[in-house]
Formats: sequence, structure tokens, C-alpha cells
Amino acid sequence: MVLRSLCVLRAQAAASLSGLPAALLPGGSGLDLPGSGLVLRSLSTDVFQNLALEDWIHDNVDLQSRSILLLWRNSAAVVVGRHQNPWQECDLRLMRRSGVPVARRRSGGGTVFHDPGNLNLTFFSSRKNYDRARNLRVVTGALRALRPGIDVRATDRFDILLDGHYKISGTAAKLGRTAAYHHCTLLCSADRALLASLLRPTCPGIHSNATASLPAPVQNLMDHDPSLTPESIARQLAQQYLAEFGSGGLSVVPVQPSDQAFAGIDRAAAALRGWDWTHGRTPRFSVDAALELADGAAAATASVRLEVKAGRVEACRLAVAPEWLPGGPPARLAARLLGARFCPSEAAAVAEAFLRAEGGGATGGGATGARLRARLGDLCDKMVALM
Amino acid sequence: MAMRVALRCVSANFSHKGPRLSHLPQISAALQLRRTDLTRTLSTTSQLSTALKFTDKHEWVQVDGKVGTVGISNFAQEALGDVVYCGLPEIGQKLENMEEFGALESVKAASELYSPLTGEVTEVNTDLAENPSLVNKACYKEGWLIKMTIENPSELDGLMDDAAYEKFIKSLE
Repeated sequence: MVLRSLCVLRAQAAASLSGLPAALLPGGSGLDLPGSGLVLRSLSTDVFQNLALEDWIHDNVDLQSRSILLLWRNSAAVVVGRHQNPWQECDLRLMRRSGVPVARRRSGGGTVFHDPGNLNLTFFSSRKNYDRARNLRVVTGALRALRPGIDVRATDRFDILLDGHYKISGTAAKLGRTAAYHHCTLLCSADRALLASLLRPTCPGIHSNATASLPAPVQNLMDHDPSLTPESIARQLAQQYLAEFGSGGLSVVPVQPSDQAFAGIDRAAAALRGWDWTHGRTPRFSVDAALELADGAAAATASVRLEVKAGRVEACRLAVAPEWLPGGPPARLAARLLGARFCPSEAAAVAEAFLRAEGGGATGGGATGARLRARLGDLCDKMVALM
Repeated sequence: MAMRVALRCVSANFSHKGPRLSHLPQISAALQLRRTDLTRTLSTTSQLSTALKFTDKHEWVQVDGKVGTVGISNFAQEALGDVVYCGLPEIGQKLENMEEFGALESVKAASELYSPLTGEVTEVNTDLAENPSLVNKACYKEGWLIKMTIENPSELDGLMDDAAYEKFIKSLE
């Protein structure tokens, strides 16, 4: 009987476009599998699609009697925790220039860097069976099977350390109504230079009660042993997981999130990609910064204080020495920024409109007027650059 | 909460000097009420008419007229571990019964919060921004999460009272 169900399952898996056994989808029959573990591998490398896939599995699959491990990898992205501040956690300016998006997970925890050299693991279970330590034993067990004697240990914060010192994995989790998921990263061959350059604040002087990350020295498993590639580790993890959580000897099932079978994933991915979620969900924060102003001949410093709520400027105070600029224009700029997103493109648009309004009549003619306009332009540039 | 109201009534009555013989029975009744209320509130948190009602997701709601105060139960806060952040909705946000309205982040995980009723958020506990551990320390009092209007009072009938909730928790273990 065991063999027959396996054949049925494999046939179904082959036939279904998504690769996910049809029985697990809503309306499916729910197969009687000996053992209750299942390993899925996402074919997408889009962080938003994969996060949406996680939520989909959590919301739609019956996890009361079954456990699932999802393996996934993304193109370069920075992923912040649910209640974190992306301006604080990463250099959004550098990320825009490098084409690296920021994503916000639904689970808690700190900020991590994803790229194809990082393997993501999501352990799905019922709330009752939620056990992070057990899940991490699967990971350390797999690594030891591949490389006997390797010193990998889970800490009480559920990080995994290599040689007692280098962080190779960070953990986060979400508890829902009746199910839960625990996910973690695994650094195999990630671009550490890019990681280090991106995981830095966008601007100084941020005060917030958002959850903070705990920076730690990291290392790639492949640097420790070249055979520890994402592929070899993924294969071993699947075996280890199925041994621990029981299975019918099912192999890893590939899953394509964009498949129609996953109703609503595209919409969910779009919501996760949207500014309102990635940036707008940031807990209220304030920024206290100094702007270095110059006009080629002289220099001055302006101080700015911004209050940002739901990603938008709620209050703005700009103080510039009166010898540098009269009080009127900076105050008018501050007023125009109210309600705008704390984001350079929107701030630039506001600044442009401001400069148009100020130009000519307000600043006066001649050399003085030109210098004033240049200084105002510089002030605007520096404000925008802050974000 | 009802006890405080009774006390206020008593002191207000006393402040009126002069022969108010007709009020005396009321005063002594109020005093009596105060004494019995005192003993009752010491023994349990939910014997008053504005008793707590519980959901199977371990949230409680306490109704006071048209407004419900929402929090999480002791069982929930223990299961959560130390709360490090409270992700709560904005005032004015409309909530549906059983809809997710926020999340509590603890060292264990981000745990979603589900609205026990349909209504609109009227107040959010701002103390939790600086002091999220209030949820652990005083989950029925200072650790309240939000206050909301009650659009469908009949939804309260679907919730568990103290005794039923205690039974429910035992069944989970």
C-alpha cells in the first residue's frame, strides 16, 4: 500500500504544473501518506514571490498532521524583520544604485542579506509541533553528515555558529492561528563584501523603538569547505529532514509560485513588494541630522529633525544659520515636506516644486539672488540625499 | 473598574451637606456595594458585570458600554515569552471579527493578533511603545492592547466566559 501511494503521488506530482501534490491544494483529497514530512523546493528566485509562497503554504495547507520544509534561494535582496526600520538596517541609497530590493518579512527578528549563495529554509508545522531546536538539529545534522567533525552549533538565540564564532544562520518565526513557521538562512557562498556594504544605516541620527538587529561576524560554509555548496547542502537537508520528520521516501518536490494553482500569490507578492509594506510599515521614528552645505566659496551646517510615521514625514524642522539663508525658505521647504514619503524620489519632486515657487521673485535678482537660489538648491539636494 | 465608579458615587453624595435623609439609604447601599465589590475583585479578575470574554486565540475583551478593551490572556503571554515589540493598528482602523490586526513580537516569534469583534479602533495603548513587557507583567490591566467600538454585540455571545476559557486551556495541555 505504501508503494502504491508513492506511485500515485509521483504521478500526480509529475502531472501537476505546480509540482505540488494536488492533494495538498485547497479542495484536494488529502493523501494518506505514511510519515508526515514533505520537502518542497521553490523554482523562483524572486524574494517577494517566495515570501508570498511561504504565506500561502502557511494559510492554505493543512499543517495539523503534516510538516513541510521549503527550500528557497533569492537573487540579491535585503530582508528586514516585521517590526524593523529599513533606513536603520540597510543603506537604501546604495541598494537603489545596485538594484538590490528591500523586503519585509512577516516574521520577527533581524535583518539578513539574501543572494543565490544563501539558502533559505522554512519549517512549517502546527503550532503545537513548533520546535525551533528540533528544526536546527536537522540543519546541524545535515552539515555534520556532509563534513564530519565540522563545528556547528545552535545558540540559545537560535543562530547557528561555525567554530563557535561565525554566524552562518539566523532564525525568525511566525505563529499564526493554528500553524507556525520557522525560517532560517544558511550562508554557503554569499557575497560577503556586498553584505557588509549594504547592512549599514541609510542615514545617521535615527531614533526609533523598532526592533534592532544584532550584528555578528559571518562566514560562508564554502570557505570552510568547498564541497559545502548550496546544492549539496540542500540535498542533504532534504534527506535529514525526511529522516527526522518521517516520509514515504518522497523526493524533493519542485514548486513554481507563479503557477495558477497558487491562487492569490501574485497579488500577495505585489503587496509585499509595495512601498506601503516595505517602508510604510516602519514603526514611528525620528531623524536628527546635520546637513553640510556649501556653495563653492563658503560652507555652513544646517540641522534637521524629522518625525516619520508610516514612512511619511509627520514633522520637519530645519534650522539654517540666518547668514547662510533667510529663515523663510527653509521653513517653507519644511512645510512642503509634511505628508510626503520619506523617500528621495518624492522628496526630490517636492524640492523641485519648492524651488520653482521660490525662484525669481522670492530670492531676488542679481548675484545675491543667484547665490541664494544656489544655496537653496544645495539645501534641497542635501535633504533628499538624507533619505 | 465598577468598584471605582461606586466609590466616586459615595464621595459625591457625602459632599452634599444638609438634611438629605432620602439619600441615606442610597449611601449605605453604595457602601455595602463597595465592601462586597472589594472582596470580589480581590479574589478574581472577572466577576464583575463587565466580565472578560475570551477567544480561542487567547485574546480577551472587556466591554464597558459601547467600547471593548482588548488584550491577550495570561496563557498567551506565557506562551509568547518576553514581548519585545507590539505592532498595533492605528486609531480609526476598522477591524473585522477574526481579522488579523497586528502582531506581538517576542523572542519566540512574531505572533499575529486577531480581532475578537467587528468595530473601529478608538484607542491604542501607547505605553507599550516604550514598555512592551507590560503585556507579560499585567496582561489584564496595564498591558491592554487596543480599545474598539462594538458594531455587533451579538458577536460577544460567541466568546467564552472565564470558566469556559479555563476549561478550554486545560483541554489544550
